[in-house]
Amino acid sequence: MQARHGQSSYRDRTDEFFGIVETLRRSIAPAAENNVAHGGGGRREDPRSAVANQSEFRKRAAVISLAINQTSQKLSKLAQLAKRSSVFDDPTREIQELTAVIKQEISSLNSALIDLQAVRNSHNDERTISRDTTTHSATVVDDLKNRLMDTTKEFKDVLTLRTENMKIHEIRRQRFTSNPSKESTNPFVRQRPLASKPAATQPAPLPWATTSSSSSSSSSSSSSSQLVPRRQGEAESSPLLQQSQQQQQMVPLQDTFMESRAEALHNVESTIHELSNIFTQLATMVSQQGEIAIRIDQNMEDTLANVEGAQSQLARYLNSISSNRWLMIKIFFVLIAFLMVFLFFVA
Amino acid sequence: MKITALLVLKAAPETSDPVILANASDVSHFGYFQRSSVKEFVVFVGRTVASRTPPSQRQSVQHEEYKVHAYNRNGLCAVGFMDDHYPVRSAFSLLNQVIDEYQKSFGESWKSAKEDSTQPWPYLAEALTKFQDPAEADKLLKIQRELDETKIILHKTIDSVLARGEKLDSLVEKSSDLSMASQMFYKQAKKTNSCCTIL
Repeated sequence: MQARHGQSSYRDRTDEFFGIVETLRRSIAPAAENNVAHGGGGRREDPRSAVANQSEFRKRAAVISLAINQTSQKLSKLAQLAKRSSVFDDPTREIQELTAVIKQEISSLNSALIDLQAVRNSHNDERTISRDTTTHSATVVDDLKNRLMDTTKEFKDVLTLRTENMKIHEIRRQRFTSNPSKESTNPFVRQRPLASKPAATQPAPLPWATTSSSSSSSSSSSSSSQLVPRRQGEAESSPLLQQSQQQQQMVPLQDTFMESRAEALHNVESTIHELSNIFTQLATMVSQQGEIAIRIDQNMEDTLANVEGAQSQLARYLNSISSNRWLMIKIFFVLIAFLMVFLFFVA
Repeated sequence: MKITALLVLKAAPETSDPVILANASDVSHFGYFQRSSVKEFVVFVGRTVASRTPPSQRQSVQHEEYKVHAYNRNGLCAVGFMDDHYPVRSAFSLLNQVIDEYQKSFGESWKSAKEDSTQPWPYLAEALTKFQDPAEADKLLKIQRELDETKIILHKTIDSVLARGEKLDSLVEKSSDLSMASQMFYKQAKKTNSCCTIL
């Protein structure tokens, strides 16, 4: 059996694989028969069981390597999704599902590999097998382990990349939504209500070592942060299947609750801005009208001055009229003189 | 906009039923004979909802004509029975407040409760009456309401300021006419006074 690095090239070589398995099995069987010829009939059972065990070992190893191939393919898909994610079109759910599936596969592969190693050790202890076989099986197991480790490392890299992208999106969104007059960016806020608050996204812990510790940490952090009503229970960085099912039901309700609070806050903020606008308009209008009032005041003062002047003139006139009597007597005499002249001429 | 009942329960792990720690209900609008059955119904539904709410989660369930909101925090669960009009957010902030108050007043003694406590907790009863108006429970709602009122008042103010502006404009015109007229008057008076030898 030959272990192939099936991650870089996507070619289906399972038929080749099975052919080689068959040839090796056939080559092992004559070798076992040779052992029988040497060691006598009493050992006939052992080689056959050895063969059976070896083929079982090989079958298991084959299954494990196939699973590793599939996992690495899924991982490449996940990497692509994580790189592609833009601000608007966030395939969060797919990424979460993929992450969960990959994590599960990795953990099961790990346990399968450990089983394989235990099987091999038990077989080695039970009967004497040739040195080549032991070294061969040891090499196979080591190779599988190395490939699994590489896959896990890549998985971790992809998760860190994803969280970095998330952080960048958050920063961008904060930049947009911190300016309240840009109401058009509200849909983005509503799309990721948890990200719009400065939630500290934890970097993805190693998926191997986590299981229960991270679940308890995420739940305890969420319970402690409830006093400040932010839900940090976003099952994104380490979704565990036991909790993720429930949380994906609950998180939408948390989202609507927190969403409504966020919306209410935004409404309050915009109302306050409108109020400030109204106040400034009011102040402008009142200052303009103040100028008008000053003009009116000046007009009235002018009028007052004019009327007072006119009144003094008239008073003087009245004085002159009333004190000018002897001039009037003179005028009257002249008038009477004219009248007499007229009378003389007519009569 | 009505709260029918508020319950505080200890949500035990999945096996046993939740234990009631405090209960306040307002059944005055039911007929006299229905009151006890309504109270039983409240207790039963409250227990069921509390047992189904996972810890550190909020939940809203529609039951007949009531909405039941439940909030479970580390085993201490608050359940509220409200009608459909009560805004959900105020309901949950009210449950938050109730739990905080309970923890403040009773500390950790609730963890050891094994059976329903029948002592009434006065805070719950007065909370029930005080929070019939959802604005009391939810500060945001109150602020929003006050802001809206302020906005209406400001709009009226602006309208009256505009009317004032118009009046001031008319006053300006009238005062300028008046000053013209008084000027003419003064000139005339001066003219009559200057040539005084007519009559």
